[in-house]
Amino acid sequence: MTDFYEWVRTSLQALAQQGTLPQAFEYGFVINALLCALLIGPLLGGVGTMVVAKRMAFFSQSIGNAAMTGVAIGVILGESYTEPYISMFCFCILFALLLNYTKGRTQLSSDTLIGVFLSVSLAVGASLLLFVSAKVNTHILEAVLFGSVLTVSNTDMNVLLVVTCVVLALGIPLFNNMLLASLNPSLARARKIRVELMEYVFVLMITLLTVACLKIVGAVLVEALLLIPAAAARNVITSLRGFVILSMIISTVSCIAGVLIPMQFDLPLPSGGAIIMVAASFFVITTIMRAVFPAYRTAKN
Amino acid sequence: MSGPSIQCQQLGLSLGGVDILSGIDLTIPAGEIHCVIGPNGGGKTSFVRSLLGQMPHSGKVEISWQADSTQNTIGYVPQFLDFDKSLPISVYDFMAMVCNHNRPAFAGFSRGKRELTETALERVGLVGKSKTQLGSLSGGERQRMLFAQALIPQPELLILDEPMTSLDNRGEEIFLSLIEELHSQGVTIVWIAHDLQQVRDLAATISCINRTLVYAGPPQPFLDSDEAAKLFRFTRPHADTISLSELASTGPTQ
Repeated sequence: MTDFYEWVRTSLQALAQQGTLPQAFEYGFVINALLCALLIGPLLGGVGTMVVAKRMAFFSQSIGNAAMTGVAIGVILGESYTEPYISMFCFCILFALLLNYTKGRTQLSSDTLIGVFLSVSLAVGASLLLFVSAKVNTHILEAVLFGSVLTVSNTDMNVLLVVTCVVLALGIPLFNNMLLASLNPSLARARKIRVELMEYVFVLMITLLTVACLKIVGAVLVEALLLIPAAAARNVITSLRGFVILSMIISTVSCIAGVLIPMQFDLPLPSGGAIIMVAASFFVITTIMRAVFPAYRTAKN
Repeated sequence: MSGPSIQCQQLGLSLGGVDILSGIDLTIPAGEIHCVIGPNGGGKTSFVRSLLGQMPHSGKVEISWQADSTQNTIGYVPQFLDFDKSLPISVYDFMAMVCNHNRPAFAGFSRGKRELTETALERVGLVGKSKTQLGSLSGGERQRMLFAQALIPQPELLILDEPMTSLDNRGEEIFLSLIEELHSQGVTIVWIAHDLQQVRDLAATISCINRTLVYAGPPQPFLDSDEAAKLFRFTRPHADTISLSELASTGPTQ
């Protein structure tokens, strides 16, 4: 894949030098970030519709926080400062599976339990990050928390590509089952759907996505990109197909604009922050559209 | 075609240290309408979910499918659909979600499923509502949509969990006619019912469940008994002359 990335970079850089593309494309790291944005945009937008439909927004935030702890553990264990993927994946998957396992075996409501896990992961993550901050450049930690286009490497792109394939392979054929399992578990079970397994598969998908998107969007903000495009689409859409497609479009446009705008206008913004601000502007626009045009208010709230 | 028979032996269910059901021995005959009645909180829904294998029950539940049954298809109509009403999911989307195998609902129907869905929606009187969002349907219409999904594929065993709760008169007529139609095709129907008059009219056998099995058998003797009147809290000032059916015909029991 490295040769392919290199070919894309060289081709686009040549076009930028000819003046066909904006000047920002002269930089290899911008092209890396855009390639990642083209992958995570549709992916987060599509999966985000399921997060919204399954009311699991809070859960995805807790995974983002767990990723911070994963980074710190990776640094402590001697993994690469910029790519501590083994620790991140291991810790986040363990965290997510434990949370889901506990959810099915406690009387606590889902949001209370997730709140407990989220707080614990935040506390542990913050403590460990402070501990390791003495060892590493704080810009690396900023990149983990809020995303940075400067640090995207070939390894990051490979990880994202593999995760994209896994999520597509799981998410497309199991979309109906995962959604029905949360809409009505009894009906899903009567239709021979393994509800608990679907919950674990979904949790695993969110976890893989969150970790893979960390470099671009950041641990703190990745959950927002799962939510905001889907929420913005929901404001103005009346069918599931439109919901998924519009959410994917908003997410992709937000990712691309969030990478390019700070570069083009020399704004000192982390890519994660810029991406979320663009996505949030879509949310504001669709909210206003819904408030102003009665045609968008067909469903009861 | 004939649906399966169901045998329960010493069926029990305990959740959080509380006995929800205990010692239920029951046979539901093949191809008949069997109504499950009982007071609120008596464990009717838990019983039905145990039949479906959805509860960690004790004892034995055996569904004896007919020899010519290849699919062992169970249709299930839940009591309600708990969901975020602002979700942009139309009736078609929901039906595609339930009926498609691997094709995600947002990509439309799998081959042949659209025709099946249209027929099912027509049978429950929801023609013209296919693009309506679930949140915009009335409770009765949503219930009819849930019945429609239970018809795809054609069930051999149909389980109805208090399906009439939010139905208007027209909805009730549609449901009753569908139940009779499916019964005539040999489908076994297990129906948690409220309305004792409907039970009297349609059920071949009933079981009354109040944590344990109070009665199992044909409806008439039990519905006319003092035990039923006491259980459903009817006052019978002239027990010798007023039958429960007369009381039941005035409306739902609970």
